[in-house]
Amino acid sequence: MIYLTNIDKYYDSKFQRTFVLKAVNLEVKEGEFLSIMGPSGSGKSTLLNIIGLLDAPSAGEYSLYDKSVLDLKEKAKVEYHRNFIGFIFQAYHLIEEMTVYENIETPLIYKGVKGRDRQAMVADLLDRFNMVAKKDLFPQQLSGGQQQLVGIARAIIGKPKLLLADEPTGNLHTTQGEMIMEVLRELNNEGMTIIQVTHNEKFAEYGKRIIRLEDGIIRKDVIKASPQPSPMEREKESKVMMVESGEPNVRIV
Amino acid sequence: MVKLLKLAFRRLFRKGEHTATRIISLTAGLAFGLLLLSEVLYNYSFDSFYPDTNRIYVVHENFRRDKSLDKMDSSPRVSGAIAPGLKADVPGIEAATRLNNIGSSVFYTEDKKSYQAQFSLADENLFDVLPVPLISGNPKEILKSPMACMVSSKIAEEIGGDVTGKVIEIKRYPGKKITIAGVFAELPENTNYKYDILISMVSTGQFFSWDGSTNWLGNDRYYAAVKLSPGVSPESLAPAVRQMQVKHQEIERIEQQQGGMVLKYSFIPIRKLYSDGVKDMIIILTTIAFAVLFVSFMNYILLTLSALIKRAKSSAIHKTCGAEAKNLQLLILSETVLLFLISLVGALLLILILRPVAEVQLGHKLISVFNAHVLWPLFFLIILLVILTSYLPGRFFSRIPVATAFRDYQQKKNKWKLVLLSFQFVGASFILTILVIVSMQYNSLITADHGYRTKGVYFGATGGMEASKISVLLNELRAVPEIEKVGLGHGLPIEGAAGNNIHSDDGEKELFNIADFYFIDENYLSILDIPVFEGDSFSQQNSVVNDLLISKRGAEKLKVFNGWKNVVGKQVDISEHGKSTIRGVFPDFIVNTITNPNSRPSVFYYYPAEKFEQVRAERSSFPFYVLIKTNETSEAGMLKKITEIFNRFLPYQDAVVKSLEMEQKASYQSEHGFRNAMMAGNAIILIITVIGLLGYTSNEAARRRKELAIRRISGATLSDILRVFILDLEFIAVPAVLLGLAGAWLTVSKWMQNFATKIPLHWGIFMVCSLFILLLVALIAAYNYTRTANRNPVEALRYE
Ligand SMILES: Nc1ncnc2c1ncn2[C@@H]1O[C@H](COP(=O)(O)OP(=O)(O)O)[C@@H](O)[C@H]1O
Ligand SMILES: [Mg+2]
Repeated sequence: MIYLTNIDKYYDSKFQRTFVLKAVNLEVKEGEFLSIMGPSGSGKSTLLNIIGLLDAPSAGEYSLYDKSVLDLKEKAKVEYHRNFIGFIFQAYHLIEEMTVYENIETPLIYKGVKGRDRQAMVADLLDRFNMVAKKDLFPQQLSGGQQQLVGIARAIIGKPKLLLADEPTGNLHTTQGEMIMEVLRELNNEGMTIIQVTHNEKFAEYGKRIIRLEDGIIRKDVIKASPQPSPMEREKESKVMMVESGEPNVRIV
Repeated sequence: MVKLLKLAFRRLFRKGEHTATRIISLTAGLAFGLLLLSEVLYNYSFDSFYPDTNRIYVVHENFRRDKSLDKMDSSPRVSGAIAPGLKADVPGIEAATRLNNIGSSVFYTEDKKSYQAQFSLADENLFDVLPVPLISGNPKEILKSPMACMVSSKIAEEIGGDVTGKVIEIKRYPGKKITIAGVFAELPENTNYKYDILISMVSTGQFFSWDGSTNWLGNDRYYAAVKLSPGVSPESLAPAVRQMQVKHQEIERIEQQQGGMVLKYSFIPIRKLYSDGVKDMIIILTTIAFAVLFVSFMNYILLTLSALIKRAKSSAIHKTCGAEAKNLQLLILSETVLLFLISLVGALLLILILRPVAEVQLGHKLISVFNAHVLWPLFFLIILLVILTSYLPGRFFSRIPVATAFRDYQQKKNKWKLVLLSFQFVGASFILTILVIVSMQYNSLITADHGYRTKGVYFGATGGMEASKISVLLNELRAVPEIEKVGLGHGLPIEGAAGNNIHSDDGEKELFNIADFYFIDENYLSILDIPVFEGDSFSQQNSVVNDLLISKRGAEKLKVFNGWKNVVGKQVDISEHGKSTIRGVFPDFIVNTITNPNSRPSVFYYYPAEKFEQVRAERSSFPFYVLIKTNETSEAGMLKKITEIFNRFLPYQDAVVKSLEMEQKASYQSEHGFRNAMMAGNAIILIITVIGLLGYTSNEAARRRKELAIRRISGATLSDILRVFILDLEFIAVPAVLLGLAGAWLTVSKWMQNFATKIPLHWGIFMVCSLFILLLVALIAAYNYTRTANRNPVEALRYE
């Protein structure tokens, strides 16, 4: 699905050229769950941005579904963002002046989905994430975990093939983080390819494959034979319960 | 779009996006700009309310006396027979009518109540060409019946009840009873020819000593309008018009006699008649309106762009959600639309609050501006402005690179900000300079020596006063201790004067045209302090009726044309007066106003007080003023006192007494209004510029906080730092200010081109104005940069 060959990314300042990524080669197959780890400033976000077509590499080749995507026009990139790639961020990046409902709906509007279909799709996701009661709240009124759920909902509403998550749990407590990771695992089980960046060893283990980045170079690339079932996975349900410290979650439909 | 507007509305109350400032700057700019532009458009809406207005033309008389003049005098007044003649003799003219203005006057109903109205004589074809809705009566019949009239709905309302059959009497024409026979809808304000009461044309003889309504040559005081058949161009009528002239005016014989004389008629579209006359003012007002709009919009864009930098992340988020550039531009457009709507409402409220002030300045009701010819263009202009002002920020917003947006996005280049800011400097210096010059010119106008005295001089009209009361009135006035002198005169310098021609000695040629002030008594000139420096002023002992005083310019011309060494004692033949003797020469004074001066030589004829009385007795409509000179020390209350005395001699106690000083000032009303408009515009532009500068320097200071701190640590003093930063700004401010000055110079030169006295456009004025702007820039910059520079530099560095 993803082929990166000899990707360089550097920034030129007055006196020197600083490499952020150097000769990165990476192949990601459809259905993979990849965790990228590495110290701060090692180029993880940059790599993710390049994969997500948000940034262009300084050198190298990149093909997505056997098509080179380096010299794409703006219009074509937009098509990828609408139909193939979803993003989740550490800082959630929800649109503040929009309600939960509107945030999740936004990609569908840009995609041109008709009003009625949109309504059904958003309702489905709200239901799946147990957020029906919160649909008219604004992001600031939600906890971090809830905001990230909205972020995920927004990222996957367009049914992307590829989900890119840049430290999705970085701002969350462990319990909330685990909940998010469960959601990601479930999505992966449904067939979505996921690439996540994380600092957390435990969360990295959710991935089926872990690569380690240091100074822009891939140092390690480990593919796990079979992922250990996590304690959470055993009580897996079709619907994810919101795990909140303190307040027990009551679903109101 | 509704969704987007909803989002924009939610954004409205967010901090740090200069929303309030943006709205204020837009509101101020829109209020002022739209008011001026609507005024400009209003000028183009004159007479547009007539059906088929594009087929209606006003007949102009174009006249050239001899070959030496290369320009024809053109006037929208013709002789009485022209309109009916055109209808009869020129195919292609569907209808023609003529009006003869009697003027604004008080009139009385039989129950002795008094009203004010604009009177005009009109023929029965008026409503064929210039129709207004009729309420009662048949104009075809009424305007053909002697001493019948039609009144406007407004006058009918004032009188009250059923007005048909009621009899009225004009103050200036006592005893002439006119019967109301019909009512028409009141004319809008935006018309070239305004009337409240129409009297049938056949009654002309009752109001004028001679009925010229069917006269072919001369007595050209008729406003004639024609309606052309569809598809007929006014130029194509020329041959037929010439044939009419040949048939009735003996034009060929006259042209042969007076070699080089030309008399032609032309047809000017009624829609253009008004705006053609105020073209210069339109250009200036438009320039200023756009300057203000431009500055306020540049400021809006500047602030919006600054706010958008803070929202860079949101641009990236939308993009990751699949937004393309178009979507983001639409987003910004919707925000612009919302802010515009709010500002527009604010601007309308502001205009509404300032309505009384504005109406005084504009000289007409604001509501008159609300017609389609004004509103549609403004509507499209606003739409255009919304699109333009949202384009640049929208383009910027949609082009922020996603990857950098998610990092700390910092605008690196700031050239565009400087460009926007410099536009504001151009506008600010442009308007400021114009304001200073307009104010100076206005002050010089009202304090200028017009060549006659105004201080302590009052004048009262004698219309409606019986002849026998005149001398009693004069005696009563002379008995008042504060009154130094009392005199009589037909006219006043501020009112301008009618024209007559001085003929050559043999009576064959007309030498030149003069401003004819008609008759004055022996006190008139000394009241106005106009000296007679050659010959003698009028006096009861050595002047007889019809003796003549001529102005210096006239005397010089006579000397040249007649080869005279001296004019005093010589006889001249002036139309309407016949032969009379020149008794003296006085210096030329300003006839009319400095802004619209009449440069013809002027003349006065002598009438002793008894003669004024005698003519009044013969002809009750013979108009003249009583002039009064009071002690300089007795200003307060004099107007009231004199008015009371006048009232004792008027049957209806409705005396109109005015102060010449006040009237002269009032004659510069439009310049006064223009100056006030400048002041308002200037205040707005300065406020906007200061807002823009504050915003810019704050952003700059924040952006260059690190640089400031490093300079500070490396030992630079505050003044060193300020110098660098301020010089950066002045570097763009200087050329911008120069550009503004150039614009101002062009504009004021155009404005003053016809003035009789102009203040010199001294370089010092421009110098002071530009220094003011540059200093303002420096001060605001110094203030903001000092604040930032004085913060702990270490802290600033740690911030990063
Ligand atoms: N626009 C840029 N200009 C200069 N340096 C940059 C830019 N973007 C990223 N970098 C540098 O690239 C390096 C890698 O950044 P990033 O990919 O965000 O690392 P990580 O996500 O692993 O923390 C950092 O040292 C950062 O300073
Ligand atoms: Mg990162």
